[in-house]
Amino acid sequence: MSAQVTERRVRRTRRRAVAFSGLLLGCAALVEAKAATAPATHRIVVGSPSAPVAGAPNSGRTSAGTSKHPRSTNGAGASTAPTASTATRAVTGQPIDIGYGIVQVRLTLQGGRITDVSTLQTPSGGRSGSIASYAVPQLRTEVLAAQSTNIDTVSGASYTSDGYARSVQSALDAAHA
Amino acid sequence: MIQSAPPAAAPRTTPGFAPPTKTDVWDGPSAHALVRLVLTVGGLVIAGFWWLDTAGGSVVGMGASVTALGRLLGLMAAYLVLTQVLLMARVPWFERAVGLNRLAAWHRGLGTGVVVLLVSHTLVIVEGYSLTAHRATLGEGWTVLSTYPDMLKALVGTGLFLLVGATSGPRLRRRMSYEAWYWLHLSAYVAIALTFFHQVSTGADFVGSDLQHRAFRLIWTAGYLAVAAAVVWWRLAQPVRGWWQHRLLVEAVVPEADGVVSVHVRGRDTHLLGRAGQFLSVRFLTPGHFGTAHPYSLSAPPRGGRLRFTVKAAGDHTAALSELRPGVPVLAEGPFGRFTADQATRHRVALIAGGSGIAPIRALAEELTTGRGTDGRVRFGSDVVVLYRASAAEDLALAREFDALARAGRIEIRYLIGKRRDLGFDPLDPARLGQLLPDLATRDVFTCGPTGMVVSVQDSLRQLGVPRRQVHVEEFDL
Repeated sequence: MSAQVTERRVRRTRRRAVAFSGLLLGCAALVEAKAATAPATHRIVVGSPSAPVAGAPNSGRTSAGTSKHPRSTNGAGASTAPTASTATRAVTGQPIDIGYGIVQVRLTLQGGRITDVSTLQTPSGGRSGSIASYAVPQLRTEVLAAQSTNIDTVSGASYTSDGYARSVQSALDAAHA
Repeated sequence: MIQSAPPAAAPRTTPGFAPPTKTDVWDGPSAHALVRLVLTVGGLVIAGFWWLDTAGGSVVGMGASVTALGRLLGLMAAYLVLTQVLLMARVPWFERAVGLNRLAAWHRGLGTGVVVLLVSHTLVIVEGYSLTAHRATLGEGWTVLSTYPDMLKALVGTGLFLLVGATSGPRLRRRMSYEAWYWLHLSAYVAIALTFFHQVSTGADFVGSDLQHRAFRLIWTAGYLAVAAAVVWWRLAQPVRGWWQHRLLVEAVVPEADGVVSVHVRGRDTHLLGRAGQFLSVRFLTPGHFGTAHPYSLSAPPRGGRLRFTVKAAGDHTAALSELRPGVPVLAEGPFGRFTADQATRHRVALIAGGSGIAPIRALAEELTTGRGTDGRVRFGSDVVVLYRASAAEDLALAREFDALARAGRIEIRYLIGKRRDLGFDPLDPARLGQLLPDLATRDVFTCGPTGMVVSVQDSLRQLGVPRRQVHVEEFDL
């Protein structure tokens, strides 16, 4: 009698184990399949002109300060000596809504070169803040090295990378306008 | 005492007998398959959420892949937890299609998987984050816990889930009283609420201001609210409404055998509360009983404003039953179970009982030989043989009632008494069972009792060539 009960229990346990292994394997397979759909290169392609945050035509020297994001208005387009080609000047990029918050950068330009990128806004708090905190330094290095927005996505930070590049591009567009 | 020995002349019809209830439109194995299919499709839909929301280009590198896997595991864990709750929410369609005992088995089966998924979700996602950020796992874990919103709640919730899971495993469960287990188990609701917040405040599929993320967040939240509504409606509102309708009160508690008592209850419209062979979830509204509900089998067909449950003493609560005073209000949920006379496909029936399984068998024996069944078919005169298995004569309960039914010519009763060890054989093994009832293959068999007995009977019936659809089983695993 007890042998039959044990047998049934073992059978059930085995069936459950198979079902759950199947579930775990299925999850892993989905991730694999998803990863396989990734493009071979992870270059960010920034369309020009890049799409700004709706209602925030706020870039470079033409800043009208109409952004709905209060922080993006302070010092937007604070530039110095626009005529001197070798002078240092700061150009503010457009605030880009990446869905988890706003990304906005300010470029320091010397002549045609980007000498520094600072961030005015990034998503803060929680996972988005965490992602920004490790992605932004890498993105900055990439932009300084490439001297353009022709950069790689930071792994695990695709939205942030995209927003960052677009904000940089908008600043470059404004500087060259 | 209402159900003393029945009169020698069996009545052809019984006043107040349950009217025909709605026949099950979807029934049997196809209904099982349907419930399973619906639940599987639900899981696939959730995986679809994840698929749609994960940009192809974003799963690049080890960190991103591990994180994506962690998210998927979390979604699946949450979905299965909600499924578990829904299975036990006493939703009438599930009850009718699958039956509470089977649902409980599914619920238990999912439990192990949920614990595995919860733990792996936590570990995998922290590992994914730390790989992405190139930081140590422990440090990243601390960052997540201390800076991400609602993570402390999630941690407490996960701890509760693990506690509930551990105390439901056979090893600890056996050492705990029903009451302690019941109360711990209820904390799963708290755990579900606590872990919900981190999903919508951190979950990549739900956070975000664009339309897709808003829609996902809305659907996800609606799913949680729907399950909560089902629980509130069927597990809280219905029993309270039932009390209003039936006003059940304890009438008497009668000892039946060593450790077995019958609880007699009176109220209004009790015939609506169940059929012979079914059980109810019963809660006595008196100190010492208030906190817990127990599944009790009807041991007589409900009628005449009366119910009778017969219960074997096990656990703190059941022992305290004998101290119940008349007049104590009773909340009843149910009825549950598909162990009813209308499942019979034939006129000839064998009822095989052991332990507390005797309660539903006693009720069935009466219903099968009395007047009309709930399906309107005439039952009187059904050829009913009862096999009552017990390890000692003192353990026999309700024997006088069976004897009276037998004397009235309504049933045939065989007592199979003695421990297998002393007898040197199992009276329910295929050879002995076939000897006892040579015409078994032409009968419907209802069997109810402890798991060991039920399993061995099923095994014997298979060997004796009784078709599966003629075998009806109710198992008492508590």
